[in-house]
Amino acid sequence: MPKQEFRAAWLLLALALLVPASAGARDQIRIVGSSTVYPFATVVAETFGRAGTFKTPIVESTGTGGGLKLFCSGVGVQDPDIATASRRIKASEVELCAKNGVTAITEVKIGYDGIVLAHSKKGAGIPLTRREIFLALAKEIPAGNGTLVANPNRTWRDVDPKFPDQKIEVLGPPPTSGTRDAFNELAIEAGCKTFPELAALEASDNARFKKLCLSIREDGAYVEAGENDNLIVQKLVANPKAVGVFGYSFLSQNMDVIAGDTVEGVVPDFDNIASGKYPLSRPLYIYVKNAHAASIPGVREYVIEFAGEKAIGEFGYLVDKGLIPAPKAERERFRADAAKLTVLDLAKP
Amino acid sequence: MTEPAFVASRWSSPAMQARLRRRYRAERLFSGLGLLAIGIALAALVLLLVSVFARGWSAFVRTQLRLDVTLDAALVSLPADADATARARAIRSADWATPLREALMKRFPDVTERPQVRQLAALLSSGATLELADRVERDPSLLGRSVSLWLPADDEVDLVVKGRVARDLPEGSRRLSLDQLGWLAQLESQGRVRRTLNTTFLVSGDSREPEQAGILGAVVGSFLTLVVTLAIALPLGVAAAIYLEEFAPRNRWTELIEVNINNLAAVPSIVFGLLGLAVFLNFLSLPRSAPLVGGLTLALMTLPTLIIAGRSAIKAVPEGVREAARGLGASPLQVMGHHVLPLALPGILTGTILGMARALGETAPLLMIGMVAFVVDVPGGFRDAATALPVQIFLWADSPERGFVEKTSGAILVLLAFLIAMNGLAIWLRQRFERKW
Amino acid sequence: MGLFALALLVVALAATSFWLGRRRALATVAGRASALRSLPGYYGWYAALWCGLPGLAAVLACLLFFGGAFDLRLALGASLALSLAGGALALRAIRPGFPARVKVERAVGIGLMLCSTLAVLVTVGIVFSLIFETGRFFERVPIQEFLFGLHWSPQTALRADQVGSSGSFGAVPIFAGTLLVTLIAMGVSVPIGLLAAVYMTFYADPRLRAVVKPALEILAGVPTVVYGFFAALVVAPALRSFGVTLGLDVASESALAAGLVMGVMIIPFVSSLSDDAITAVPQSLREGSFGLGATRSETIRHVILPAALPGIAGACLLAVSRAVGETMIVVMAAGLAANLTANPLQAVTTVTLQIVTLLTGDQEFDSAKTLSAFALGLVLFCVTLVLNVIALRTVQRYREKYD
Repeated sequence: MPKQEFRAAWLLLALALLVPASAGARDQIRIVGSSTVYPFATVVAETFGRAGTFKTPIVESTGTGGGLKLFCSGVGVQDPDIATASRRIKASEVELCAKNGVTAITEVKIGYDGIVLAHSKKGAGIPLTRREIFLALAKEIPAGNGTLVANPNRTWRDVDPKFPDQKIEVLGPPPTSGTRDAFNELAIEAGCKTFPELAALEASDNARFKKLCLSIREDGAYVEAGENDNLIVQKLVANPKAVGVFGYSFLSQNMDVIAGDTVEGVVPDFDNIASGKYPLSRPLYIYVKNAHAASIPGVREYVIEFAGEKAIGEFGYLVDKGLIPAPKAERERFRADAAKLTVLDLAKP
Repeated sequence: MTEPAFVASRWSSPAMQARLRRRYRAERLFSGLGLLAIGIALAALVLLLVSVFARGWSAFVRTQLRLDVTLDAALVSLPADADATARARAIRSADWATPLREALMKRFPDVTERPQVRQLAALLSSGATLELADRVERDPSLLGRSVSLWLPADDEVDLVVKGRVARDLPEGSRRLSLDQLGWLAQLESQGRVRRTLNTTFLVSGDSREPEQAGILGAVVGSFLTLVVTLAIALPLGVAAAIYLEEFAPRNRWTELIEVNINNLAAVPSIVFGLLGLAVFLNFLSLPRSAPLVGGLTLALMTLPTLIIAGRSAIKAVPEGVREAARGLGASPLQVMGHHVLPLALPGILTGTILGMARALGETAPLLMIGMVAFVVDVPGGFRDAATALPVQIFLWADSPERGFVEKTSGAILVLLAFLIAMNGLAIWLRQRFERKW
Repeated sequence: MGLFALALLVVALAATSFWLGRRRALATVAGRASALRSLPGYYGWYAALWCGLPGLAAVLACLLFFGGAFDLRLALGASLALSLAGGALALRAIRPGFPARVKVERAVGIGLMLCSTLAVLVTVGIVFSLIFETGRFFERVPIQEFLFGLHWSPQTALRADQVGSSGSFGAVPIFAGTLLVTLIAMGVSVPIGLLAAVYMTFYADPRLRAVVKPALEILAGVPTVVYGFFAALVVAPALRSFGVTLGLDVASESALAAGLVMGVMIIPFVSSLSDDAITAVPQSLREGSFGLGATRSETIRHVILPAALPGIAGACLLAVSRAVGETMIVVMAAGLAANLTANPLQAVTTVTLQIVTLLTGDQEFDSAKTLSAFALGLVLFCVTLVLNVIALRTVQRYREKYD
């Protein structure tokens, strides 16, 4: 019996030693942020990892807002190193970052993207203007006699008689999403401003203007479909009467089953978005924590890979995935910024 | 007094016969309903398995194209005194896309325009350059020669060759252009297209490209998670079962513990996920997406099941064994440790394996603690970020590329295989070692 | 060196103490083990416990006290000091008449008891963390609005300068959605499960039973994510196209699709628990009924089922509890719109789905949005707890009647 107990003790010890001991600092890059930039960030991460020098970064799709919030929580080992965004970082977020010790952030614009309103190829498209988008999706719309009413339009025909008699069903991003912010500003707010009485409010009562011109209806016509744009594509395919709101890359990767609606008569395709003719186009960014660029191995190299010509150049591998490349001068400027880790200055465009 | 006259039933009367027939018909109807119910249940199972298998078997097959590639020695720039790591790095960073493109252009000399060339090059998977680099690394003598190699095809080509996507779809619904389909047909007629076992699926981690995606990362992540679960839940579960069954006094407190454990066994798994999120991630700040946290959360979930299984296994050991041991002078703990526990061990093991099988298939708690990130590398330790097999299935089910439908189904087949193996092992153990007292 | 290596060091010291303790015990009786009061190994365990437990306690205390700012040297010093001191004290106490076994067994007994209280700690942990976060939620949103409000629009603004939803947290549409899907699931699983159990116990020959029982176990063992995949990829599109041929507008994420698949998943549950309830009815009742000339279906309908009813009711309640708590099937097959409807062809959302949606994305714990997920979790926990308690008590009371 003593021998057995002895053996048991040593066996336990040996088994315990087999378990790898825990490491202190992190050696794997953590990236959080936009669901629109997620397809690009993951491809760059994989290419970066396969080069063999560093571990493949971990990428999580949390939405631009959620991602920047995590990014700005601090400079500890458990905080992410890079945040991707489908809109520019706001001043309030820079303040939050500074409050938590994240004082030096580098901004890199990686390209452009168009917000498309897509539908299944099995259904009919609806050519829209921004005014009509506002009338279909805003929370309150002008009633025609100077007052505002809760949005009464149930079908597209209610918005305009030339549209089909089809229930308004739009699947779009939640407020954590940068696409939502950009959609609010580029489509809803722009449509709102086509009404002179609402446009006048911008100068006279800004708070009320913001509330009216940036609120989307909550009575079920607009469904917040989470941070998974692929899911929206699948739901569109299953439901030919629905309309989905997401980035152009998801349209270009699924062109065989969905098509984009025209906005102001402009078709959402590569050339129109690149030239700026398509009204709902916006830039995409990544934000780097300079403090982590020094302490976590690989962060600098990843950012340089992302900003490199092989990735975001005109024939880069991200363009195959649906990214609209920025003009050459911008690419070179941000490439230099990435190499030098130039600290963000919100005043500079 | 007069009693009511006894009237014997006339079994042969038509009324009675009619009633009997009705009753027998009701009997047949009832048993028919029972059989129908079983039939529906079995049909649902068969439908589920067949639809998964039909979509997933092709995940274990991949398409390869044979190309004659000229590997110019100048591709890899090596200094004379390069050591192994420098050579490996030089090979990895060389431009392998060019010889592949040239090989394709040589095969189709009439393709000269740049967009056409890009389409031609797109017939190959983006992982072809990596496989080429691997081959050169293993056998550097390939440099400077012209070799005929089988290289992986792009996922769209793969789907067409496997027949999952029709070749005659109208323009706009097609992923491959007419030119690409034409070149593919030519390669097929030259015998340069073949389907082989998809080893990539079994030995690589996740990827954005379906043809390069594999389940190894998820399998290792699941394994590490289950190791943590087992290491925590088994000792604690057995210890608690021993105490509750043998040593606990019968008072209000132990009754409460019993009710509590029975309830915990039936709590939805997502509540354990919430607990894990609040306590392990928020309060203790453990690393997110790590098998350590996943294992801890699943251990809490499996603990009640293990305690219940352990208790019933210990209870099944007859009193005679205990009394005999006591009679020979053993203390209660000695009775337990030397006699009862070894006899109850098969039952405990069976319960443990079944509990682990259930933990293997759980997704919801792992979603809550963050194992939903895109993780390519196979995890090396318990604190590395990882994903688990059911979570990988969930993530792939949402991916846009058509090729991921078959990969998701393939991963489901692998998961089901593991579960069948574990359940089979438990059943075998039960039959081999459990004794009927 | 790391926390883990430190713990291993303490374990190594304990193992050495074991060896030393045993050796010392044998040395005090010049090798004659029969002169010792306990078996020699127990003296070793005594020393090992006195060395290892204080050391590990020191490590644990340092971890809990300092958390992230874990000072390795302090922990190393404290644990080494305590381990060596404990080991030395134990070795000094070893002599032939020392009741090592009793002391070791008492320590082990306490350890076993602590392990069993861990299960209670888990429940306490669940309840406490849920209640804590829910309390913070109800500071921001009044409880009546949550329990009785009809409008669910939780995606509030993330930043001060953002405009999000109005943040109404009326959870009634979500409860209604869960109820609808659960009812459909029960409508599928209870008849099929019950009839299957009845057929298996009364009509089936052993060959059929040998096929059906494993098949039902396989149904029970399939992971829910696979069911979800099946529901999203096969059942929902099939229902939708079937509905189109009938002229009905079936949503692509109808409650019917999710409910049907969930029902299939629960069939083995209902069937095996009903099987137990039916076989527990004494043979005498069955045979008495046959003796009076009843057919099998009449016996089942008039004698067995009424007798087994409490057990079957308990089985159904447990199945309902399972359906209410199911996550993956609804995540993959049900919708996100909080729709208050009784129409199974429309898309509804459920409690579990909302919990998952609310907690992926914004991960900060002080917005009403994230806290509402905990409030929903608490409701889920309470509902399943009540259902389980009633079900278990019903089954137990039923068991008493015939024992």
